[in-house]
Amino acid sequence: MFAVESRGAQCANAPQEDSTVTTDWTIVVPVKQVPDADDVTIDPETGTLNRSDAPAVLNAPDYNAVEAALSLRERVGGEVVAVTMGPPFARAVLETAVALGADDAVLLTDRAFGGSDTWPTSLALARAAEELDADVVICGEESTDSSTGQVPPGIAAHNGWAQLTYVEALEPRPEDGELVAVRSIEGGHERVAAETPVVVAFEYGENEPRAAGLHRKIYAETEFEPEEWSADDLGITDEVGLANSPTQVGGMDTADRVERAQEVVEDVDALADRITEVTADD
Amino acid sequence: MTDESDDEDAVEDASEDVWVFVEQHAGEVAGVSWELLAKGRELADETGEDLVALVLGEDVERVGEEAIERGADRALVADAPVFEPYRAGPYGDQFRELVEEREPSIVLIGGTTTGRDFAGRVAVPAQAGLTADCTELDVDDDGLLLARRPTFGGDAMATIKCPDHRPQMATVRAGVFGAADRDPDRDGGVAPVDVVVEEGDALSRVLEREVGDVADITDADVVVAGGGGVEGDFAPVEALADALDGEVAASRKAVDEGWIEPARQVGQTGKTVRPDLYVAAGISGAVQHVEGMNDAETVVAVNTDPNAPIFEHADYGIVGDLHEVLPELTERLGGERPPEPTA
Repeated sequence: MFAVESRGAQCANAPQEDSTVTTDWTIVVPVKQVPDADDVTIDPETGTLNRSDAPAVLNAPDYNAVEAALSLRERVGGEVVAVTMGPPFARAVLETAVALGADDAVLLTDRAFGGSDTWPTSLALARAAEELDADVVICGEESTDSSTGQVPPGIAAHNGWAQLTYVEALEPRPEDGELVAVRSIEGGHERVAAETPVVVAFEYGENEPRAAGLHRKIYAETEFEPEEWSADDLGITDEVGLANSPTQVGGMDTADRVERAQEVVEDVDALADRITEVTADD
Repeated sequence: MTDESDDEDAVEDASEDVWVFVEQHAGEVAGVSWELLAKGRELADETGEDLVALVLGEDVERVGEEAIERGADRALVADAPVFEPYRAGPYGDQFRELVEEREPSIVLIGGTTTGRDFAGRVAVPAQAGLTADCTELDVDDDGLLLARRPTFGGDAMATIKCPDHRPQMATVRAGVFGAADRDPDRDGGVAPVDVVVEEGDALSRVLEREVGDVADITDADVVVAGGGGVEGDFAPVEALADALDGEVAASRKAVDEGWIEPARQVGQTGKTVRPDLYVAAGISGAVQHVEGMNDAETVVAVNTDPNAPIFEHADYGIVGDLHEVLPELTERLGGERPPEPTA
């Protein structure tokens, strides 16, 4: 049911350049700016995270997503477009993606997006992917700051597209309009073929992200300007932000620390004795 | 929730019952499902609602019956070939239909690759709140779910609420709660539901599926875990685990390196273990890892770096190379030394 609707819309919107059949894919990579983990502190009085002091960096798993997208582009042809949602300074992570090899980038920025949880965030990214006529959307597995992993399935659900999560390897079949993935599942693996458009969540650490080339880096930092889209541009002003986020953070506190004896023993004999005591207890 | 209003706008007031998704693949039930039934039972007793088990698959009536024995008041079973093997589309569409038709108040799903894959396909169209990887669940006096989860790599705990949307959905990683026991005398109804998904609607097909024995490290009394320090050679870790009759586990680092299967990963994005003895070998002790071993009775750390954070989270520590310490320790404990690495 989803399939018919979304594929119909896709065909209607697809650019009709000429009658030649092209298998080029538009690969959209949603990325996230996260605070550098080492620099986040907890305010001891309020118990909230001081994220603002920490420099924003590209979410580590997103490097794997960008790499997977670039590798797919090399095999299929087409273009890679990075997208992020955030305040104006979030453009820094788009520059990183462009330096790594993305062809273009879009910044979704609007006060209306403020306070969005994963529901409106995935809506904004889904609309952007639709706007870009994405054939494939490749996300990182999850973000290092909130680690929900909910955005990739959220994008797929908002658009009624297929999804492939926990992906370790991709095998494009553009002539069949399919993407085949090796997915990691509990206790093993599976190979799944999905119709495009499809949303992929690439597993963290499963490929070797390339380094940014010097020329590309200079281009990204000096010449490149991402496009900027507002909530209005996407037609979702009334569907995003804190007010449209089903979940609310009801409080934050530091995790309780479990008290441990912290006794350093001198040699293996002493350690073996301790272990024998512990395991003899039952 | 107790207010049975006829007002159509008052969706929240109409929602009731605690649902637990019982995950199975080819008849094998994922252990986390029974853990969620135990927790779901507590929550349902507190709110005075029913605990409902949801089973999707092919020939799975028996799984519904077992869910009753393990604490569910009712089991809803969607039985059709389209649900085997698992795919996000059919699961999401069927689950969403049931949620929208029957309006549960709370829905608990295991934080497995399966649960985390399809939960969003229910939460997004149903406009439900979905909290990932909760480690504590409670309800307040109004029946509102208080879902606590580690945030920012485990440095802090956040309480997530979903005041205005139903259902309140949460995923929970394996091992966080104890499993519900079987009681063959428990009564309850297993009801088949209409299957609303057709094979023709599916956007994907499974070409191959290879699943070995799914290691269950969450029930082990002894867990020996290796991290980056094993440098690709898990033999010393395995030998010590053998000597102690325990299970082998790993940090995310070791899993990401491909040295060991993901099912054995301990930590925030892996499993929570609660053994009597946990040996952390060559593991630095990042908060994400410590999160998964905090419930261990006794923690032993082996690390070459005397300043590694793991020593602050250990009862007994020894500074040294695990490739020397572990074989010696294994021998002292009456086990067999691991084979010498050939490289």
